[in-house]
Amino acid sequence: MKLKPAAFIPELLRHLFKRPATIEYPFEKLKVPDDFRGTPVLKSELCIVCRACVRDCPAFAIEIETLSEEEKKYKMTIHNDRCIHCAQCVESCPTKALFMNDEFEIATDSRLKLKAEYTYTRPKKSGQQSQTG
Amino acid sequence: MKKITIPIGPQHPALKEPISLRITIEGEVVKHADVRLGYNHRGIEKLAESRTYIQNIYLVERICGICSHSHTTCYVQGVEKLCGLEVPKRGLYIRMLVCELERIHSHLLWLGVAAHEAGFDSLFMYTWRDREVVMDLLEIISGNRVHYAINTIGGVRRNLNEIQKEKILEGIKFLKKRTEYYTNLGTTEPTFVARIAGVGILPKEKAIALCAVGPTLRASGVSSDIRKDDPYAAYDEIPFDLCTADTCDVLGRVVVRVKELIESYKIVEYIIKNLPQGEIKVKAPRKIQPAEVVSRYEAPRGENIHYIKSNGTDKPERLKVRAPTLANYPATIEMLKNCFVADIPLIFAAIDPCICCAERFVELIDAKKGNSTVLSMAEIRKKYYSTETKRNVVWPL
Repeated sequence: MKLKPAAFIPELLRHLFKRPATIEYPFEKLKVPDDFRGTPVLKSELCIVCRACVRDCPAFAIEIETLSEEEKKYKMTIHNDRCIHCAQCVESCPTKALFMNDEFEIATDSRLKLKAEYTYTRPKKSGQQSQTG
Repeated sequence: MKKITIPIGPQHPALKEPISLRITIEGEVVKHADVRLGYNHRGIEKLAESRTYIQNIYLVERICGICSHSHTTCYVQGVEKLCGLEVPKRGLYIRMLVCELERIHSHLLWLGVAAHEAGFDSLFMYTWRDREVVMDLLEIISGNRVHYAINTIGGVRRNLNEIQKEKILEGIKFLKKRTEYYTNLGTTEPTFVARIAGVGILPKEKAIALCAVGPTLRASGVSSDIRKDDPYAAYDEIPFDLCTADTCDVLGRVVVRVKELIESYKIVEYIIKNLPQGEIKVKAPRKIQPAEVVSRYEAPRGENIHYIKSNGTDKPERLKVRAPTLANYPATIEMLKNCFVADIPLIFAAIDPCICCAERFVELIDAKKGNSTVLSMAEIRKKYYSTETKRNVVWPL
């Protein structure tokens, strides 16, 4: 091993003429990849209320409330403030009613603003309803 | 000369995470060091007992941000052994791919930190810029930069397509070129070599006796790697070399990690070129019969061990995590002996410490009497967080 003093100088000089490695974030944004795990969103017409997402969510961020048993009316609350964006709910969902969008700038000044609520009626036969709805 | 004990940490500019090092010095020379842990305890092991096996994947992932895939793979391997699941080959290969990409990002990060501690900040900036390439690759594969969440019980969650494969090969080609440059630079730049050579000596016998793991052990000339010694996933099918150095100092640790980077590039290329076809996961049962298992994994920092005990329900009865940093603490104390005060941050950074990984246990010791006590959370709240205590506090100055 032979030591060479100032071996770093050519590399330093080369970088003087290169573009910056960073981008000016709020004005210019990087594109997120296709399968990016952003914010979970419910397509309420597809939900069959099997509660698999509620059972598997590691952050307990999904709640399903029964509004009316006869009318099959339900309310799903996705607490985005608790969400850890692991997309386990998307994987657990048997009807693909949940998906992750590419929204990543979700910071707000209040936790309450991050709550997403969906009120919906459960379809009688999930397959038929999903095509029409 | 009179000996004095100085505290470094729990909050100190030289440390990135809270840990307390009590250093006894004689003049400028360290005579003894004592490590005190417990400032970053989060009770993850206890929490794991109240969550299902699926939920626990994401919990153990959050033990560490840098080696998140190491912890999930170690945990998931253990659970798969408990259920007797046979993971499809393609699933194992994708798991290993993420594992090696994680090793690349961790070693590049460490190289930057080591350069920074040695006062070579240009190298720090360059390695961290190059690390963005591998972070982007991980984001393309898994959908997130830090917590990849690619593992699930019985395989992996996402498949690889041709575009992703091409992008990975492209990124690896770039990183290979850069790493070769850093290897030349790191071993020939006199100022950098002079700063790290001969610092933090850990002789081979001591390294074995004190149970050091990972690159710290390999830099002391011991060839030990779980990927070779006890191959998990499909590492027995992959050709790669074990990297060791015999200088036993921080220079050796740099050399081992840089060599490992190059080996990891080769492994990634091999995986991409020989990726088997087929399924990526099998269906896993929710409940597991009573049994216990120990799972070993070679994390970027060293050997990671998870112990899982099941009791017939869908939740584990016990999860014990032994992170590599914890195994390296005794060796660190040995390395710190007879070094200079100015070398402490460099030596400590050279084991690639992850404090929050190692914080699995807290012992409450009475400062006056010296006996340890067990307190429930309610008692801790009452004793240390109650409003009455705060009101009665007398300002000491």
